[in-house]
Amino acid sequence: MLPTTPDAAAAVDPAAFAAELEAWLQTHPPAVVRASEHVADYPTRVRIMQDLMQVLWDESFVRYGWPVEVGGLGGSFLHRAAMWEGLARHGVLGMNLFEHLEVLLPTLVELGPRDFTAEHVPLYLSGREIWSQGFSEPGAGSDLAALRTKAVADGDGYRISGQKIWTSWSVWADWCCVLARTGTTESRHRGITAFIVKLSDPGVEVRGIWQANGNEELAEVFFDDVFVPADRIVGELDGGWRVAMHILSHERGTFAWFRHNFLYQQLIEFGASSPDAPEFLLGDALLDLVAATACSANGVKEHAAGEILGPRACTNKLMLCTAEQSVQDAILAGDVDLAVGVQDELTDLLRQEYLFSRIVTVYGGSQQMQLETIAKQVLKLP
Amino acid sequence: MTVNETVEEFFLVCRQALAAVSEGGGEGGNEALTQLGWWELPAAFDDPEARGAMFALFRAAGRENGDVGALPALLAAPYLDASHSGDGNASGAVAAAITRRSLRRGTVHTLVGPTDAQLLLVDTPGQGVALVPMSSVEFASVDIPGRLTLREVTFDPARAEPLLDEAAARDARARSLYAGRVALAFDLVGTAEAALDLAVEYSKVREQFGVPIGTFQAVRHILAWGFTDCASAAAAAELARDLALDPPERLGEVTKAIAGRNARRACQRSLQALGGIGFTQEHDHHLSYSRALALDSLLGTSAQLTRELGTWLKAEQPELGYASRALFA
Repeated sequence: MLPTTPDAAAAVDPAAFAAELEAWLQTHPPAVVRASEHVADYPTRVRIMQDLMQVLWDESFVRYGWPVEVGGLGGSFLHRAAMWEGLARHGVLGMNLFEHLEVLLPTLVELGPRDFTAEHVPLYLSGREIWSQGFSEPGAGSDLAALRTKAVADGDGYRISGQKIWTSWSVWADWCCVLARTGTTESRHRGITAFIVKLSDPGVEVRGIWQANGNEELAEVFFDDVFVPADRIVGELDGGWRVAMHILSHERGTFAWFRHNFLYQQLIEFGASSPDAPEFLLGDALLDLVAATACSANGVKEHAAGEILGPRACTNKLMLCTAEQSVQDAILAGDVDLAVGVQDELTDLLRQEYLFSRIVTVYGGSQQMQLETIAKQVLKLP
Repeated sequence: MTVNETVEEFFLVCRQALAAVSEGGGEGGNEALTQLGWWELPAAFDDPEARGAMFALFRAAGRENGDVGALPALLAAPYLDASHSGDGNASGAVAAAITRRSLRRGTVHTLVGPTDAQLLLVDTPGQGVALVPMSSVEFASVDIPGRLTLREVTFDPARAEPLLDEAAARDARARSLYAGRVALAFDLVGTAEAALDLAVEYSKVREQFGVPIGTFQAVRHILAWGFTDCASAAAAAELARDLALDPPERLGEVTKAIAGRNARRACQRSLQALGGIGFTQEHDHHLSYSRALALDSLLGTSAQLTRELGTWLKAEQPELGYASRALFA
């Protein structure tokens, strides 16, 4: 059992942590076994992951790598990277909506209101609360600075009105980190503030979006004069752009590490196991995966050393997406039931995963935005 | 200075030295290696700094289209080590040929780069390792564009002296192959970066429709993909370098295949941005492209390795621990 006091935990370096986790995983904990089973129903998968997070909290694994002030046990980002790597290697099929932990939580911890994060981060880490982020709008996708959802000062808080779209996991979420305009429409990125909105508050309406892969992971969120107290601002008033960039740097930099781990397992379990899978496609997918590993491990280490990930980190996101599509293409080539067969439990699950891999080049900063960032900021093209 | 900083500095020194050789007509690459103190580095393979510097030379050679005999010396070192002969090849006295199969000519031995070695090392899987006096070897120049000396060698088997039998050769062969594949990966990365550099600079100055072509999104994205090809192959080569003392299964094959595939892609994308001028002999792009094609064809082509890796995945369904090894590298 790992130490559960910050002082004792400080002696557990990431390698020792990984060894302790490995020993625990070797005992085949029921929550891990459950999360490795093939379950087609997405809401059931969400509940299974919530249960796993609770167990990881009870065993204190998920507390490592997060600051003591928010219920963690200290340690570095490498502890978190090691935890998800180990879970993936032992068959856990994905993080489902807890991928968002590694996109949103680093920013909440660093820039969020102190008392609020101290209370709610432990609930998030233990799977008892779920978060989403409200960035995109019908008129503001890649051009995020064009967003129009408004926040108007009212007493000791703000009133938010507007609409968000593509807000992943809002159907299940308790909280949403919402970017809203506190300046004029012309203020672009300077007049935006990040608020924490309780999705069960009056005036909030969440409508799920049924996706092409049969899931309801995405949603539209409508805000009609929703009151948010002033102490639920993340970062500074009018400082929302910095918050957004902080989140997006995780999404394009370190997120690749967490997500790509699960692809190794999928390549073997669903790709290499098929006699029909073409060898060249399997091999090519492995090349893309190892390239993604090499790129994103560098990002993870830079992040753990406290460095800010620069524009070169766009390659991590590009490689993650390339690897995800290669792996899924190899799986489909070995099992065409995904495309044309009767959908039993496993086939249905694999079909969802395959179809989802088609959209990975669109979300979280589209492939074209990543390429443009490299062209402009790395290659210095005119 | 950290290991990475030392290696980066050595890389820049290598580039300068090899650029000077290229400007002087291309002769004297091996003397430059002597001045850089490179020949002692393969024997110090266990030291991360020496290993990093040793491989940095290859990336610099690719970048500057350098003509050096580093690869045959590096390939020979593990065999000499296993036979307890020589000084870890610190004087470059032994050069190893790379054996491959030619479609129409059967087994072919290739020597990469110029060499002053006195002995040629030939490893024939199944038959062990032998040394042949270089004075008895016949050379046929491979006439392809580029500054890299490539020669096919033939020799009289009667002149070959056994160095290691098959059983003793196995471990040395694995180490030689790994080091050679990672070295080729670094050279391929440098080669691809050189080709991409040409295209990036060209697209900033070449104008069409009254503006530089680098303002057009179609061109920008081609070049950004080229950068991604190079950056991801470089990261993979560095990972293989860092894990070289105890590499996870098949990492050498994976690394070489990524580098060969990505270098060819990056050269093709660069050519597309350069347009017709990139397909002429007066422009240097074709030198890099030919170098990439040649190096991709040694110690397993990317096409062949990729297929073999897929066959391995299917046959053994191995637990793939690359990510955890990378995390703690």
